[in-house]
Amino acid sequence: MNLEKVIFSFFMILALTLNFGFFYGDVHNPDHHNVYELYAVIVINLIATIMKFGDRSQLGAMLLATSLVANVQLISAAVVWAVAEHVQAAGVTEATIATIVSLSGGAVLANIISVVILVLEASMLRH
Amino acid sequence: MNPATSLILRQMRAPLIVIITVFSIATLGMVVIPGVDAQGQPWHMDFFHALYFVSFTATTIGFGEIPYPLTDAQRIWVLITIFFSVIGWFYALSKIVSLIQTPIFKRAVIHSNFKRSLNQINQKFYLVCGYGETGQDLVEGLANKESRCVVIDNNHNAIETLEVQNYLSYVPGLEADAQVPSQLEYAGLSHKLCSGVIAITNSDQCNLKIAIISKLLHPGIPVICRTEHNDYEENMQSFNTDHTINPFDTFAHTFAMAMKSSALYLLNDWLTGVPDTVLSDPIVFKKGHWVLCGYGRLGKRIYQTLKNQGLSVTIIDTIPALRDHFIMNNSDDETKFIIGTGTDAKTLKEAGIENAVGLVSGSDNDSNNLSSIMTAQMFNSELIIIARQNEMVNKELFLASNAQIIMHPSEIVARQIRTLLNNPLLIEFLLECYLQSTEWINITISLLSGTISELTPHCWTSILNEEESPAMHSALSKGRKITIKHILKNPLQRHKKIYCMPLMVRRNNNNFLLPEKDFQLIQNDEILFCGSSQAEHHISHCMRDIHALNYVMSFKDAPDSLLGRYITGTTKHKRRNND
Repeated sequence: MNLEKVIFSFFMILALTLNFGFFYGDVHNPDHHNVYELYAVIVINLIATIMKFGDRSQLGAMLLATSLVANVQLISAAVVWAVAEHVQAAGVTEATIATIVSLSGGAVLANIISVVILVLEASMLRH
Repeated sequence: MNPATSLILRQMRAPLIVIITVFSIATLGMVVIPGVDAQGQPWHMDFFHALYFVSFTATTIGFGEIPYPLTDAQRIWVLITIFFSVIGWFYALSKIVSLIQTPIFKRAVIHSNFKRSLNQINQKFYLVCGYGETGQDLVEGLANKESRCVVIDNNHNAIETLEVQNYLSYVPGLEADAQVPSQLEYAGLSHKLCSGVIAITNSDQCNLKIAIISKLLHPGIPVICRTEHNDYEENMQSFNTDHTINPFDTFAHTFAMAMKSSALYLLNDWLTGVPDTVLSDPIVFKKGHWVLCGYGRLGKRIYQTLKNQGLSVTIIDTIPALRDHFIMNNSDDETKFIIGTGTDAKTLKEAGIENAVGLVSGSDNDSNNLSSIMTAQMFNSELIIIARQNEMVNKELFLASNAQIIMHPSEIVARQIRTLLNNPLLIEFLLECYLQSTEWINITISLLSGTISELTPHCWTSILNEEESPAMHSALSKGRKITIKHILKNPLQRHKKIYCMPLMVRRNNNNFLLPEKDFQLIQNDEILFCGSSQAEHHISHCMRDIHALNYVMSFKDAPDSLLGRYITGTTKHKRRNND
């Protein structure tokens, strides 16, 4: 067992599960989507992205790309939330929470691809 | 991905993760720990404000306690935050700085810069292996003639010297071992525009290896090799190396030429010399006794030339084994072989310097060579001196020594390769001259000195094809008669003379030496000219530009635009008659 691989996989899968946890629930209901969870998803996703830096293989490039996509989606969601709450007078409306959740839904998809690649790579190794 | 970027990303993983972790924990703490607002009501920072607060605190900008003054619980957390986040931040910064300074990273950057400039080359280029004296001389000549070069050398200083040179076209340099096939390929051998490999390192073994690599991996690319030993030369020629250049053989050939006819030597020297330098003076060789200091590779060849002329020679060398060898091979010879350096008065006197006509100081030590020349001149000021210069730095000393012919191997090789690449027709012309009579050569020399000024002329070849001279090509295809005298006119002002002389026209493998003024040109002729750089400019202008060509042929500057033609009343039909 390789500790580095364990940590690497841990962060990638944690990014997916947290992301899913945030995404799951009624799209219009702010009570179903916790801000702490979004925060945790972003942090874990950033760490997962950095762990993929510098891998020159084709699969490594794919992994990095999916992580970058997830980051773009999640950070946009966070920006939307911050702008809605602090800049706009109306505050966080149902429409805003729907936008935030659907953005994080995109990130879930990217994270799923990432985990699928991870599993494929692991299954390609012959023991 | 670029190796340098990849290296940075991989090394930056740990610092970035540290920063993100510290930031996220700090932010989370700021959100969780309760504070009070202006009215004393309990209040929680949200993520937006917490991230804002941590960002300006961690980067030591520090705007203060906003939006409300912090509680003591918050202050404890901020204290912890500051220490950890500032440490994390500086750790990341110092990591980047130290990464940039590591030799591995520097090398990665240099390699990727080289790769980029190689990819940007969009014309044919030569791969020059070895940037020593010969390499510098050659690259200067090529790069300033608008040919592109790429240099590979395993010496760090050589590549650094190249970096600070200011050539007309940029010359990328790679510090790598040209004897390693992958390195040579990386340096541009596998590039589709590589049109020649020039192996001019100072080791024959290395040049041989480069020739083998090039010929095995890319048989279509011409290879030019410098070699100083005959066995290597034969080895290189055995697998079709395109040109091998031995400076000693080349010089021996030139020397033989000089002994045969000093005019021929002068012609050779003028035409192949570095353009716009002062022309060398003619040398008159008298028959008589020669003293030969140094019986190495150069000495042996010169001895042979002198013997073939039937002249008496005395040899001076330090190595007794060479004398034994010499006596064994030339037992019937009455040539004296003296053991000594040839730098002291005693040996030189013994060799008969007082009555000699010439001195060859051809050892591989510059100080000894200079010393022999100075000592010999004290006894005999009429001497013809042939000096071998081994190092570029001693150039001024040899010039000051009054030696008539200075043999510098690096310069000879560079000169030969430059002529070979820039002007192959000139080599053809000189070979033709070698077969001509002495009178013919004397006439050529006097014609030449009437045309050119006191500076070494430029020699160039114009090919009358569509690519190089479109105006000439289209005029000839219309059936116009163009002769040599037409193109020797100044396209700016016809009454002004241009200082240029056509040396040879090559047509279907036939050479026409010194074409007359009414020599009629046809398509795809190759013309070898020699003249000033201004003349080169004027003539190539005429060949490219149809207006200039019309002007020198008819002295009328006919307008080409529809309105212009309408105003001057020259319809297209009339104009064609005019031409």
